[in-house]
Amino acid sequence: MQKRFLSIWFRHLTTDWLTLRRPELKDKPFVFAVPDHGRKVITAANPVAEAGDVTCGMVVADAKAILPELEVIDETPGRNLRLLMALGEWCIRYTPVTAMDAPNGLLLDVSGCTHIWGGEREYLKEVVNRLRSKGYDVRGGMADTVGAAWAIARFGRITPLIDPGEQATALLALPPAALRLDPAIVEKMQKLGLRTISSLLQLQRSALRRRFGPGLLLRLDQALGVEEEILQPIIPIEPYATRLPCLEPIRTATGIEIALQQLLEMLCLRLKEEGKGIRTAVFKGYRVDGKLEQITIGTNRASYYIHHLFKLFALKIATIEPALGIELFTLEATKVEDVSHLQEALWAGKSGLDDESLTELLDRLEGKLGTGIINRYLPQEHYWPERSVKSTPKLDERPSIPWRRDRLRPVRLLPNPEQIEVSAPIPDYPPMMFVYKGKRHDIHKADGPERIEREWWLDAGEHRDYYYVEDKQGRRYWLFRAGHYTGGHTGQWFIHGFFA
Amino acid sequence: MDYTELQVTSNFSFLRGASHPEELVERAAAFGYKAIAITDRNSLAGIVRAHATARQLNDFRLIPACRLDLLDGPSLLAYPTDQDAYSRLSALLTIGNLRAEKGECHLYREDVYQHAKGMKFIVVPPSSLNAEFDFEPIFKNDLATYREALGRECYLAAIRYYNGDDAKQLYRLSQLADRLDMPLVATNDVHYHEPNRRELQDILTCVREKCTIYNAGFRLHQNAERYLKPNDEMLRLFKQYPDAISRTQEIAEACQFSLSMLKYVYPEEIITEGRTPQEELTYLAWEGAREKFGKEIPKKIRNKIEYELAFMEKKNYASYFLTVYDYVRFARSQGILCQGRGSAANSVVCFCLGITSVNPSKINLLFARFMSDARDEPPDIDVDFEHERREEVIQYIYNKYGRDRAAIVATVTQERHKGAIRDVGKAMGLSVDAISKLSESIWRFSDDWFEGKYVEEQGFSPGDAHLKKVFELTEQLVGFPRQLGQHTGGFVITQGKLADLCPIMNARMEDRTCIEWNKDDIEALGFLKVDVLGLGMLTCIRKAFDLAKQHYGLNLTLADFDGDDPKVYDMICDADTIGVFQIESRAQMSMLPRLKPRKFYDLVIEVAIVRPGPIQGDMVHPYLRRRNGEEKEEYPKEELRAILTRTLGVPLFQEQAMEIAIVAAGFSPAEADGLRRSMATFKAKGLVSHYREKLVDGMMARGYEEEFASRVFRQLEGFGSYGFPESHAASFALLVYVSSWMKCYYPDVFAAALLNSLPMGFYQPAQIVLDARKHGVEVRPADVNLSFWDNTLEEKSGNYRALRLGFRQIKGLSEEDVQTLVNARTGKYIHIHSLRDAGVSHAALEKLADADAFRSIGLDRRQALWEVSALHDRPVALFEGQPSASAAETQAELPLMMASEHVVQDYASTSLSLKAHPVSFVREKLSMLKILSTQQINNSKDGIPVKAAGLVLVRQRPGTASGICFITIEDETGSANLVVFEKIFNKYRKEILQAKLLMVEGKLQREEKVVHVIVTRCYDLSKLLRSLTQVQNEDVPVLTLSRADEKTLPSDVYPKGRNFK
Repeated sequence: MQKRFLSIWFRHLTTDWLTLRRPELKDKPFVFAVPDHGRKVITAANPVAEAGDVTCGMVVADAKAILPELEVIDETPGRNLRLLMALGEWCIRYTPVTAMDAPNGLLLDVSGCTHIWGGEREYLKEVVNRLRSKGYDVRGGMADTVGAAWAIARFGRITPLIDPGEQATALLALPPAALRLDPAIVEKMQKLGLRTISSLLQLQRSALRRRFGPGLLLRLDQALGVEEEILQPIIPIEPYATRLPCLEPIRTATGIEIALQQLLEMLCLRLKEEGKGIRTAVFKGYRVDGKLEQITIGTNRASYYIHHLFKLFALKIATIEPALGIELFTLEATKVEDVSHLQEALWAGKSGLDDESLTELLDRLEGKLGTGIINRYLPQEHYWPERSVKSTPKLDERPSIPWRRDRLRPVRLLPNPEQIEVSAPIPDYPPMMFVYKGKRHDIHKADGPERIEREWWLDAGEHRDYYYVEDKQGRRYWLFRAGHYTGGHTGQWFIHGFFA
Repeated sequence: MDYTELQVTSNFSFLRGASHPEELVERAAAFGYKAIAITDRNSLAGIVRAHATARQLNDFRLIPACRLDLLDGPSLLAYPTDQDAYSRLSALLTIGNLRAEKGECHLYREDVYQHAKGMKFIVVPPSSLNAEFDFEPIFKNDLATYREALGRECYLAAIRYYNGDDAKQLYRLSQLADRLDMPLVATNDVHYHEPNRRELQDILTCVREKCTIYNAGFRLHQNAERYLKPNDEMLRLFKQYPDAISRTQEIAEACQFSLSMLKYVYPEEIITEGRTPQEELTYLAWEGAREKFGKEIPKKIRNKIEYELAFMEKKNYASYFLTVYDYVRFARSQGILCQGRGSAANSVVCFCLGITSVNPSKINLLFARFMSDARDEPPDIDVDFEHERREEVIQYIYNKYGRDRAAIVATVTQERHKGAIRDVGKAMGLSVDAISKLSESIWRFSDDWFEGKYVEEQGFSPGDAHLKKVFELTEQLVGFPRQLGQHTGGFVITQGKLADLCPIMNARMEDRTCIEWNKDDIEALGFLKVDVLGLGMLTCIRKAFDLAKQHYGLNLTLADFDGDDPKVYDMICDADTIGVFQIESRAQMSMLPRLKPRKFYDLVIEVAIVRPGPIQGDMVHPYLRRRNGEEKEEYPKEELRAILTRTLGVPLFQEQAMEIAIVAAGFSPAEADGLRRSMATFKAKGLVSHYREKLVDGMMARGYEEEFASRVFRQLEGFGSYGFPESHAASFALLVYVSSWMKCYYPDVFAAALLNSLPMGFYQPAQIVLDARKHGVEVRPADVNLSFWDNTLEEKSGNYRALRLGFRQIKGLSEEDVQTLVNARTGKYIHIHSLRDAGVSHAALEKLADADAFRSIGLDRRQALWEVSALHDRPVALFEGQPSASAAETQAELPLMMASEHVVQDYASTSLSLKAHPVSFVREKLSMLKILSTQQINNSKDGIPVKAAGLVLVRQRPGTASGICFITIEDETGSANLVVFEKIFNKYRKEILQAKLLMVEGKLQREEKVVHVIVTRCYDLSKLLRSLTQVQNEDVPVLTLSRADEKTLPSDVYPKGRNFK
């Protein structure tokens, strides 16, 4: 069968994408730029910026001199590839063989696909128009070879559709750059006055090879169809989902459990092979009367253990109302993560958070009581006590810093310091007694002050002088005075925590 | 009981201390302390400033000291008790510095032990205890070793950190102190002089740790206790350890060494035959005088020499002059051209010694003024050398005096506004974009900026508290030292070891060492420094002298020029000065026809007048009017006549402005000098207005008009940063004259020398070549068989020798490849492949082909490139010599190149074309648009509307010209000057900045020979240039034109034009 290819060129891939996300940029000049040797170099410019003579490769400072209102956005490397991947997957509706053509194009093998849309012209129109209506400025070219299609999309001036066998004629008038060549070679041809592909074809092949290397001849042959070129098609990722249609509608809990068990077995087998585990999953039952029943679970750590996952679902199976019966079950893992393979140590029994039975217990508790009710506390790099810890629901989050051991901190920290009455010598010695909730505490031992200043970039106010004190009963407290003692002004005293 | 602070980190511990040494000293004195020690980390860079400040205060002294951060032990504070110990400390730091990269100092405890004699030490303990409420055993062990090695001179620091365990820490320290018999001494680890600098200190920490304030966490200090505390507070904090307080006194008393005790001694090598320096100087001066003036020295000169020598003896400057003489003599012997300038350089003695070539009989009384100035400061001689060979002189000095005795002075790089806002903004977590916007808005410093006026324009809200904080901190940070660099050429040379006076460190450049102090520090301590500077024009003149000798048999030296040739002045008056030193800039060239210099002193004025000082002071026009007899020569008061008579009553030189301050405003010479200095650093903002008041009031009190007084002040302001004293101007004027003479009589020699000295000056090779051709010099293209690396002169063609372009004009060609090519060129190259066989790289051959340098082989650039491309695949090794496969190829038919294409490629390869000017190809089209050539414009009448077009050579927006942009354009007939006012500039910003070929409409303005076009509209005609490379009828009807195929020629072929430099 005659091969046919469609090349799609996204003229403003990344800037179009950003305009879609931020429509207010539509009529403003903006560019993407990356830092390069201390300067910033433009990697993509939107049409408005291009109309103002800002082009790729320009230094941002120069561009700004021309267009002071130019907005500069940092380029995320690889974004264009991710976009192309997504667009390529979208294009699979037109042909099963879609390939990325970095940095800004797609290649479609459309052999035998076009008649479904009523012919090549209609097919091309459909693809291009759909992409344009999405907001992407594209040009397309169709021909027998990848090379010719690529050239026509970017350099063609007459028609985007090259009839079978006509690629050689169509290429003649195009510049050598249309052959996907190294810029250095293109520049050299420029200097030699070789401005069209036809002028190349007039020269001896051996003369061309000696001067421009075998790459040129390969590209030439590929474009003309003498050499075959093979595309690397995009393979879309399958979602982690399984389905189980039932011959008879299921109405019993046992039936549901069996279905769940089977689905879990199918899904977990695949997850295990790919080294993934479930963080959240949804189990759905499609009822005969058209209604949908579903239950959702979440785990603290990615898991593919059927037994554990089954238990989590089992807690909720009772909520499913089968009514007249369920004819189709599906199980979808809505969030998966890589499973960290814990080493199976010879001496069994892992401690603390690594203990699987603990995490499974937590999963079950949360399944019963609701998510987010169990928290951990992690140290934070802040001197200010209220900010020195944070709570997190995640089990596997590692503390970013170790707990400090050189500063004593109470076991229980009051969320809000409570005011107390104190008698203390001035200016900054520990108090001798304090009254908290109407009760008087005579201080037996004390240490301090630990002076903690405000984090001035976050808030303003007085610093605190903290004291560790022990009353006569041996109970220990964390007290502080706000601010300095100056002149007649004694700072307010507060209690902020209790030691063990 | 009194306390003395002994642990103070100033901002010379870069990115740690948050106060200037001066601030710390002043605050300490205000608290009633009698002394303070500055202990920067492995550095003595900040102590001279602190010392200078302390010296001005009553009964207060600085204890020079240092914090030694060791690689293998806890840090030590070191306090030298006497001068010997200080020298040892300095030597110790020198060892550490020279071991490490610039900016680092690698010291080990063993080094400290070796240099410990006469020093007192304090060990700095860790700032927190471990979980057992004790110090780590390793620290205790280290402490014991220190005690053993350093004995009773070693103390232990006690610091109240306010971290909650102060009492425990002090207790543990006192335990250790008792056990090791190592006395405890109180310090406060000061990082800033007042508590509210904590915020800035946090920011500095962020900059140092490369983080933002939001994620800096525990890298910051927990509280603001690191400020300099008053005596009583310190006594209270250490109430339980009173001995720790009294020991601070013990140490302070023991350390009586002061920087004032350092005595600078000049080296001795400079004298011969057992003469004293003064005898040597006298001997050399008279010998030189006989050489210059003949056996019979004129009486006037004789008197002057005697007078100067007597003065030098009185001031004890003989050694200084001899040192300068020494390396000038070395340079002479190596054929390196040099020229002295500076207040002392223009003396008869210096002329006799050959330090300067300005003939004292031509220009008067400069040195007399230097001497009459009661200013007690060291003489100042800067010597310029050829920039390409200055390194030889520098290495000579290093070799002669040794690296332990000669070093370059440091420069303290300060935080400027842009850098400061960047640092603060980054640390405060602003986005890169926001920071750039902010820093762009401060292109001109002003108080308004800090008040946020410009900020609003940039789209920030000025009320934003976060932004306010950024500004506040930026303002504090401005002026902070950031790093030590090396001075451009200031040398300190000593008799003894230099490291005894100041630590020496590695400079970033290879083979350079410098000291930690900058020129102000050196001056404060009375050290003498000599400046070894580089000047491009001297390279050019030396090359011109060489060429003149080679081709015209002339033996020229700088001293041969008397500065009297009328032909040279005719040329200068015509502003025909492209390439000439100093007077080649556009501003200078437009001044020349108005000033009409006719004698040497006119050139001195010319050099000095087009400078920010006189321009800001509005001195230029009054001078011109008086010179042209349009205004009467007037003196505000008779007492100024002596000062101003040379410049027709208008102060033009820096010395004049200062003398006016002395004579008319009652300044003392020192004050006048302080005034000039304070202008240079805007850090002393407050000081300037104080001087202004003093100057203006002083002059008005003596009966001067306020207007004149403030004019003098404005001029001083301009001089501050761009000083141009008369003596400098005179030295420069000589070079102006020499280069003009060269250009006038030997334009071929001048052009070749200039091209061989590039990059320098204002002009591109294209303009220099064009100018040479205009003067009748034939210029020939570079060719593989005829050119060398440098531009050369060939046989006579017309009046002058023909100039053969050298390979250095070809972009991207390496000197190495050219050497290979030239060395292998025994006969004539006939084939391209013989060049390749000779070892010339393939890339170089392509560059040569691009430059069209194969004409003598009979190939144009396109054919040559075709041949060169095939050389990858040539017979090698065994088959060398066999005919290459190219021979078997049928002759390829390459399209013929049009002349315009050749020109474009010439520009792409060499930035110039001898074939034609690019604009000439579009002249026809331009004429149809009624656009005049630049030649027609320069001959047109005043006031008519004109259209002009040309390649943009220069765009300038000088700070002195309130937003006006000056543009120079060029076409095949010459160049024209455009003036664009700010409003028009903003309107046509894109065209002006982007156009390679700019077309303007405007009005012609003519003032005698000076012609400007006042622009009203601009157009970008660069598209016309594109047509130069386009083959006719190539354009097929366009369906959708893509951008990629518009680029038919490599971008940036034409030089971009110099922008706003």
